[in-house]
Amino acid sequence: MPEMTLDMRVNGRKVTRRADPGQRLLDFLRDELNLTGTKEGCGAGECGTCSVFVDGKLVKSCLMPAAKAQGADIQTVEGLARPGELDVLQKAFHKTGASQCGYCIPGMVMAATSLLREAPEASLDEIKERMGGNICRCTGYTKIIEAVALARDVVTGRASPAVLEPEGVGESYIGHNVRRLDAPSKVTGRLKYAGDMVMPGMLHMAVLRSPHAHAEIVSIDTSEAEAVEGVACVITSADVPGKDGFGVFVHDQPVMARGKVRHVGEAVAAVAAEDVATARRALAKIRVEYRELPGLFDPEDALRPGAPVIHDYAPDNVVKHIPIRKGDVDKGFAEADLILEDEFSTQQVEHAYLEPEAGLAYVDADDVVTVISPSQNITHHRHMLSEIIARPINKVRFIMSPVGGGFGGKEDMIYQGMLALAAMKTDRPVRLVFTREESIIASAKRHPSRVKYRMGLTKDGRITAIRFEMLSDGGAYGMSSEGVMRKAAILSCGPYEIENLQVDTTAVYTNNTPSGAFRTFGGMQAQFATESMMDIAAERLGLDPFEIRRRNMMRAGSLTHTQQRLTSASIDRVLEAAEQASRWEPGAPTMRGPMRGDLGGPGTRAPCTLGARFETPKDSKERVA
Amino acid sequence: MQRKMRGRGVAASWYGIARTATVDRAGAWAELDDGGTAKVVTGVTEIGEGILTVLAQIAAEELGIRPEDVTIGDNDTARSPEAAHAGATRQTYMIGNSVALACREAKARLFAEIAAHWEVDAGTLVAFDGELRAEGTNLAMTMAEAVDLCKRRGVVPVGAGHFAAHGTGLNPEDGSGAPWQAYVFGTQVAEVEVDTVTGEVQVLGLWAAHDVGRVINPRGVEGQIEGGVVQGLGQALMEDYQTANGHPVTHGFAKYILPTALDVPEITSILVEDPDPLSPLGAKGIGEPALVPTAPAIINAIHDAVGVRIRSLPATPEKVLAAIAEKQARAAAAREAAE
Ligand code: FES
Ligand code: FES
Repeated sequence: MPEMTLDMRVNGRKVTRRADPGQRLLDFLRDELNLTGTKEGCGAGECGTCSVFVDGKLVKSCLMPAAKAQGADIQTVEGLARPGELDVLQKAFHKTGASQCGYCIPGMVMAATSLLREAPEASLDEIKERMGGNICRCTGYTKIIEAVALARDVVTGRASPAVLEPEGVGESYIGHNVRRLDAPSKVTGRLKYAGDMVMPGMLHMAVLRSPHAHAEIVSIDTSEAEAVEGVACVITSADVPGKDGFGVFVHDQPVMARGKVRHVGEAVAAVAAEDVATARRALAKIRVEYRELPGLFDPEDALRPGAPVIHDYAPDNVVKHIPIRKGDVDKGFAEADLILEDEFSTQQVEHAYLEPEAGLAYVDADDVVTVISPSQNITHHRHMLSEIIARPINKVRFIMSPVGGGFGGKEDMIYQGMLALAAMKTDRPVRLVFTREESIIASAKRHPSRVKYRMGLTKDGRITAIRFEMLSDGGAYGMSSEGVMRKAAILSCGPYEIENLQVDTTAVYTNNTPSGAFRTFGGMQAQFATESMMDIAAERLGLDPFEIRRRNMMRAGSLTHTQQRLTSASIDRVLEAAEQASRWEPGAPTMRGPMRGDLGGPGTRAPCTLGARFETPKDSKERVA
Repeated sequence: MQRKMRGRGVAASWYGIARTATVDRAGAWAELDDGGTAKVVTGVTEIGEGILTVLAQIAAEELGIRPEDVTIGDNDTARSPEAAHAGATRQTYMIGNSVALACREAKARLFAEIAAHWEVDAGTLVAFDGELRAEGTNLAMTMAEAVDLCKRRGVVPVGAGHFAAHGTGLNPEDGSGAPWQAYVFGTQVAEVEVDTVTGEVQVLGLWAAHDVGRVINPRGVEGQIEGGVVQGLGQALMEDYQTANGHPVTHGFAKYILPTALDVPEITSILVEDPDPLSPLGAKGIGEPALVPTAPAIINAIHDAVGVRIRSLPATPEKVLAAIAEKQARAAAAREAAE
């Protein structure tokens, strides 16, 4: 590659390197200078994790060629405070608990630093607006905004620096707001995630992914790719020495496609090379011949007789069906004064953790195959990898690196197997870092769902029977579908004691992006339907939404939908707590908004109109309240 | 109808703690170390939920030292006991209780030596925040001195602990079974404003009341609720992963829209404590349950504001506008029919 001498000042020190001038400033900082506090969340200018100061101006370093920073004065998150110290903003982040996974946090701290430099008196609305270009998936932004406001108050002298000190402990550390112990490492960018780690002699991996949703693999020819200078190995499913297959419940997914591909983005082969660019170049030289197969893209189609079969072991395309039966639904519906029928659906959702998948594997001196990655389940991954590579379990080691957001999306072992195989084949450490696009197309999503609902109630709002039927698109592989269907079924009818119910949840295979574990594991999809039905019923019966829930809620001694006897049920307490805190005005949910007297009070914010924060709120008279 | 319409909605929820319909288990090791510090070894690390801080608080409380004196490792299948997965709202419950039990064993070893040294009953010893004393006496020393003394008597104060949550499998015919031993409940109220010209929905306020069992770190719990609520808001109003014939079309953040700081309502968290009677700590969990009621509360609030029921998520501006138009057309048809 062409090289030039790049000169800049970075965090106050003069830096001179011969480097590829076409590389991004982000890569120059991370790879050449090892300043890994600057993160790559998207590589496309859309998340803010890569923010640095260039001549005092905040820029997204993923969008700037390194050559454009020639001669510039660069400040990264590592340069904000002296080693071992925190500046005011960093202390404020520590104090409020603003960092969770921490992956967005260096970028947030940089954006907030810029804000306080340019607008030290910023209002809350202005803080939100100026931080609006930085994505955080963990915190809900609330404590980040609180931290920025706190730092602003200290910087402007409105608050004493003492507010940044930890709270004194009383008689116990339980129930105490101990500041997060990991916060200093996150607000300074010091914490190393898997993609920040390097080992001597390390190779870089790139993955060839399927362009087809459903296709037979006729042949794979890797010879040309292997001949590329700088390529250490190319691996395919033929390199798997043991029993190929992983999954949280059924092991139906090969480490790389075996015989056929089942979704766009599925791994087909991987290259390990001296650098990422070489690995990517070599990918283009792998010849794969596909024969396209008819695909399944809708879960209802998957159940039709004669539908294409995605996995031979499941000729009906069903991943899992969970039935729950309690009481006698026919009797329950016969006793009802009102029967409601409705349908609900939820969409496929991306986890969007800010840290894309990344991992580093090596074989140690004792022949232990070791994988460092932000895996959400190292215990299970170790079991699966030991079978895949046919080595005893104590010769397989998983190390869980700090996870830059997971939400269930890092429970699937979708890349650790490839890393292990390449490390075994080359006897060198191998690292893989997903691009954002790879992360989105190759990782599991929240199951989309369709629910058919039938609910019978008496005039006074007691539910007499429920029939609940959910169909979910599991996508190309089983992943967590079985467990998600089970949890959806168990929780389906909500925190209510229902005497008669019939629940069925089913996940099917299609050729869509796989669905898997995602925070609530089916619980939110199911209860979205139930909680919508509760309000529909309340409207029809003229009951307050809290009241109809109380008339049906579980209590100590209740039998759950799976006929488990509860020893306690705090639903009465949380209903009351929410009702009181929100100053809820009782009444039936019949488009009551225009008449309500409880709107716009404490606990609400003003609506925002972008860019209008300096105007007088002229639409205030339009407000209903 | 006025342009900006407001309304409120509520949704309730429930959730089970730890792995479903199976025996969940975890283990941990602890050692009271030199200087009155401690080492705690578990198989987990931080995924952002604050587990390391929670474990340090638990260890500090059990051992009588300070959270910052606790070192947590090792997140490693070859160096630490089984922890299983960082998910299922199980970390505080499973690992937290394992750590508490491991620390109790380590502390018992230390207390036995100190009690023998002071010639008092071990039951009279109390340690907190780095100080150890025997109740009813004026005998006291620092935990650093205590560890030193214990070791000079030939005892290294180590402990191991494990904890199990006994769920049972579901009957394959009727689904009966006891999938969890601990349950939590939650209720959220959302207040929204609907712009009837653009269809845009803003969530202005959100009240979230959740039973989490015994609260270990209130700020940490709030952080989990706030994060869960905003993910729920994203799913309710904007997020939508789409494919066309299996080809992803929302493969970057320009196309896959996520909530930003500007979308966030004021969030009021109310922590309700119904301690778990089956575990040493009494804590339950909050990671997943926080998200469950958000979307239905928002959708119910939209109905309250403009009288339309969104049955298919997300409630995008287009969908909300179409529903309003359909409602108005229905009302007009009904008026005509009445005339
Ligand atoms: S904005 Fe640069 S990595 Fe996302
Ligand atoms: S803390 Fe912001 S993305 Fe995790």
